[in-house]
Amino acid sequence: MPTPPSTSATAELAPGLPDRRRERVIRPPAFSLGAPFRSLGSLKDHGDLFYTLTLHRIRVRYKQSLLGPAWAVLQPLATMGVLTVVFSYIARMPTGDVPYALFALAGLVPWIAFSNAVTTSTQSLVSHAQLVTRVYFPREIVPLTYVCAALVDGAITGVLLLLLMAYYGVAPDASVWLALPILLLLAALMTGVALAAAATNVRFRDVGVAIPIVLQMFLFASPIAYPLDTVPARVMDLYILNPLVGIIENFRRVMLDTGPLHGPSLAVTVIWVVVLLPAAYAWFKQVEATAADVV
Amino acid sequence: MSWDVRCAGVGKRYRVRDTPRRRTLKDLFTPKSRDMWALRDITFEVERGDVLGIIGPNGAGKSTLLKLLSSITAPSEGEIRIRGRLAALIEVGSGFHPELTGRENVFLSGTILGMRRREIAARLDSIADFAGIGSYLDVPVKWYSSGMYVRLGFAVAAHLEPDVLLVDEVLAVGDAEFQARCLRRIQDLRERGATIVFISHDLGTVERMCRRAILLRAGRIAAEGDARDVVTRYQRLVTDGVLTAGGAPDEDRPVAITDLGITDAAGRETCVARSNDPLTLALSLRVGRLFPDAIAQVMIYSYEEGTLLCECSTPAEGITLQPGDEAVRFEIDALPLLPGMYTLGAIVRPRDSQRAIDWWFGRTTLHVESGPAARGHVALPYRWSLSKASEPVRSR
Repeated sequence: MPTPPSTSATAELAPGLPDRRRERVIRPPAFSLGAPFRSLGSLKDHGDLFYTLTLHRIRVRYKQSLLGPAWAVLQPLATMGVLTVVFSYIARMPTGDVPYALFALAGLVPWIAFSNAVTTSTQSLVSHAQLVTRVYFPREIVPLTYVCAALVDGAITGVLLLLLMAYYGVAPDASVWLALPILLLLAALMTGVALAAAATNVRFRDVGVAIPIVLQMFLFASPIAYPLDTVPARVMDLYILNPLVGIIENFRRVMLDTGPLHGPSLAVTVIWVVVLLPAAYAWFKQVEATAADVV
Repeated sequence: MSWDVRCAGVGKRYRVRDTPRRRTLKDLFTPKSRDMWALRDITFEVERGDVLGIIGPNGAGKSTLLKLLSSITAPSEGEIRIRGRLAALIEVGSGFHPELTGRENVFLSGTILGMRRREIAARLDSIADFAGIGSYLDVPVKWYSSGMYVRLGFAVAAHLEPDVLLVDEVLAVGDAEFQARCLRRIQDLRERGATIVFISHDLGTVERMCRRAILLRAGRIAAEGDARDVVTRYQRLVTDGVLTAGGAPDEDRPVAITDLGITDAAGRETCVARSNDPLTLALSLRVGRLFPDAIAQVMIYSYEEGTLLCECSTPAEGITLQPGDEAVRFEIDALPLLPGMYTLGAIVRPRDSQRAIDWWFGRTTLHVESGPAARGHVALPYRWSLSKASEPVRSR
């Protein structure tokens, strides 16, 4: 920590006994791209809070519901069922030799994590107004714990996917390990979007209202119910600007071994994450400083 | 000495948006807002181990200042420096989740306040004890009474071991007995050398708890210094100068009351006691000239109703006060008051007149912490018995 301008006082205090106390300086907020790096340091002091709050999210989620944790399984299965009925019985979607249900579920694994994270974290600061106006802790912890809880949802869907793959006798090959960096990319994207949405929603509640509609659009603007090949070539350049395309399409390709990695969309996603994540964090930290005044 | 809290030119501005009826499209796109400074030019230091009181009328900016010190919101100008671990003694029941048990919620709100899980686990029993919730620790808090909820929320915060403690209106939480327990805890932290910033409406408590004080008025520091002097200033302010207790004696006022203090059995200054505790009320006087035939009295009133409950007095034939500083001490063997809040007053008068030479009022508050569970104010000593009406009474 920086030493105070009047060092005489500090020197006076410590004959023999060094003053180990940390000094904190509070100044008016200013947008700075360095803020995320500084606050990452203070985050590690709050590791216990992060852990407790994440645990809390998972525990509380399905309390006082009849089916309890079963919902974590039912939610993706229901979506998969709907998509399967529509796109394999009513309309025929060409998915090669992959059964449509498996095809859809593979797309739903990253999607469910993403959409759950965005939906819950957008409202997170506002719904924690009681705390935000009374206690200080690094506020990013609140949306980040929702991201973690959503990753757990995603993991449960992932287990379902593995079970369904076993059922259809689809064995993953060596390229399945590429799923890990892709999921890491997903986690980074979720974090960036969650921080930006939570911060913006403090000032403009419109975000909270718009998010469900936007998510619905993205459900269809991402290759979840259909493969990337079916997208007309003339809109492809525009289509892959959606950062989810690179993640969902490539995740499915490595899991179900339906083709080589799709490079252009993956590159777009990486660029998105590299730009969005630091910017969203810096924006979040700036809003955080006075969030208590407006929530 | 070195400081733990330092504010330099701190200000907080809020934008207040005027919302007149929008007549034209142009009005819609030119939102009119003006600045409202909740705090301005706040500069002070709190030395290590010191207790600073912040007083002032409603809306003077007391709570805003505390929010700035605890980083809940950022200042608009100036700079605040804080050394060491800071915690606010606030009620965190709002962080509780109704479906989770008391135990789970203690971990949740404890970590929100910055404690480690290990620390919380070690203090769990003590927290439950402080809150008086006993065996309800493993029950979902949605089944708690509102009192239990608030007490548990506060008990978590009361178990922090901060270097710098912020206290905002502790007297607004729970019942009088619980408040007294919280004040006792603050006194303990003070004795262990914590630096404390204390906000309260009750001048009597501020004067007992704090060495120094700041008077805020309309967002600015109106007075700063010794807690006793600042409280005097404030009291004069709110009563338009009618109350003039404190200060030096003069021609019209040969005797001035400079303090009415409470000390416990160990001789320490306090504002918290238990029923049946021995207690000493010490009236400090500054005597301008030899004053024979004086009577000094200390009165105890209930805080809420202001009912006179009892008084101690020097003998009716009068005492002689010598020039200089004098102290009249009333020693109480067993405090006959039930848990609750009491305000103490004092007067000095001539033997032959009811007209006071000087008085002291509203500046000494006594919090009685624990005692027999009974209604009323007085801890009445009594025996009881049960017998047939026809038989002679057997005493128990």
